[in-house]
Amino acid sequence: MKTKLPIAIAFLSGLAMIAVFILNPEKVGDMEGELLQWTTVIGGFTLLLGVVSIVRVNWRPVVRRETGWLNNAALLLSVAVMAIPSVLPVSWSPLFGTDGGSIYDWFFINLSAPMMATMFAMLAFYVASAAFRAFRARNAEATLLLLTATIVMLWRVPVGEGIFVAIHPKLPNLINTYVMGGVNVAVQRGIIIGAALGAAATSLRIMLGIERTYMGKT
Amino acid sequence: MDFWQRISQLDRRWIYLAVALAVIFPLLVPMKMKLGITPEARQLYETIEALPDSSVVMLTFDYYPSTVAETRPMSIGALHQMFRKNLKVITMTTIPLGGPSIADRTMREMAELYHKIYGVDYVNLGYKANYTAVLLGMGSSIESIYPSDQYGTPLAKLPLMQTVKNYDQISFIFIVADNGIVDNWISIVNAQFSKPMGAGVTAVMAPKFYSYVQAKQMTGLLGGMKGAAEYEMLVNKPAMALIGMDSQSLAHLLIIGFVIAGNVAFFVTRKKKESKG
Repeated sequence: MKTKLPIAIAFLSGLAMIAVFILNPEKVGDMEGELLQWTTVIGGFTLLLGVVSIVRVNWRPVVRRETGWLNNAALLLSVAVMAIPSVLPVSWSPLFGTDGGSIYDWFFINLSAPMMATMFAMLAFYVASAAFRAFRARNAEATLLLLTATIVMLWRVPVGEGIFVAIHPKLPNLINTYVMGGVNVAVQRGIIIGAALGAAATSLRIMLGIERTYMGKT
Repeated sequence: MDFWQRISQLDRRWIYLAVALAVIFPLLVPMKMKLGITPEARQLYETIEALPDSSVVMLTFDYYPSTVAETRPMSIGALHQMFRKNLKVITMTTIPLGGPSIADRTMREMAELYHKIYGVDYVNLGYKANYTAVLLGMGSSIESIYPSDQYGTPLAKLPLMQTVKNYDQISFIFIVADNGIVDNWISIVNAQFSKPMGAGVTAVMAPKFYSYVQAKQMTGLLGGMKGAAEYEMLVNKPAMALIGMDSQSLAHLLIIGFVIAGNVAFFVTRKKKESKG
């Protein structure tokens, strides 16, 4: 029953959405709307589940004073400071909720956002270091990749564009047409079509009960 | 140890220092280099420009704070154009962490600049979980997915939303994103509801979406900070993206320089080893 019921729900839900897509909505009523509302509500619960999970995982090391427990404590404190005031009603205090001027907003603008931006910005340093140490023209394919990357990197910035225009005024447009709109698009289409077929196959496997990892079973 | 051996064993801290200088220096001393506009950016601008005044458009804030340097200038550029043309703007986000805050701040800032009234000229729907259901559900009824806006006001009380029930009343969708959500906008909203749309995405994502532009599933595309800078030029509001292009220019040149130096050092030292051994 534990396995059959979720498979039956998955099969019927999938079938209902396919039916709505194929049939005229007037014939099937607002079934699609109802199902989608259910999905958004369940999506909300998954966020709550995520919070419960992160608290449970980090609570234990703090209680047991395991190695690095201070990091876990900092994470729990951050969750509490950001989450609790954000869910309290604004009518109680303008500091609650997520609007401008709230506790959540202050922490988000002054801590969370700069930290995320810093993490992302550090990629520039790692990419530069990796470019120096790892991008080697060892064979024809690697050389081709390096040359294309160099051309596109130059084309994407004004100084490179200036160099290309100096060589030939139409060169930046030719790169856009033949590299980005030609070779690149051909490869991207293959990837997109492959990924779409994979997604369709996975959906079918879930509907037919072949794919069961979402139930925690293989 | 000869010169090329020294180069091949260069301490990575020198590389980090060079990158830092390449990024900071142009911010202190702007170079103001000339920038060309790609056809994809121009198409996006012209599509919005061709919309009749007072048309309803949707602008999404589907990005995390980590990429605001690339994406936020696109949102600001789009809002300059939309508000200047008196278009009615509906915004939303599929990003729970930061999306609502960025949307709220940007909309308030721009609305104040153009004296736009909330609920009449623009509406911020905020965030709802499960983006696939959200994008699909808004096709039949926006109110069923978003019973209230970002601030808890029921949609029925907002004058703009009394005329907008689903995608049928929205003339154009401008997606600004730093993740794979653009695929869903295309496959769900464009394919199933035939809604015209364009996108502004981060530089690493942009190559993927050229295929959608060619297939006319998207009317235009802004790629990375360059795309944002192009849009700033198109709306004639030069700002952060154009300033940032100088830093990006030097950083790209530096990385290309590192690739060349690394390869020369690698091959020269390998040849020497082979000739000795």
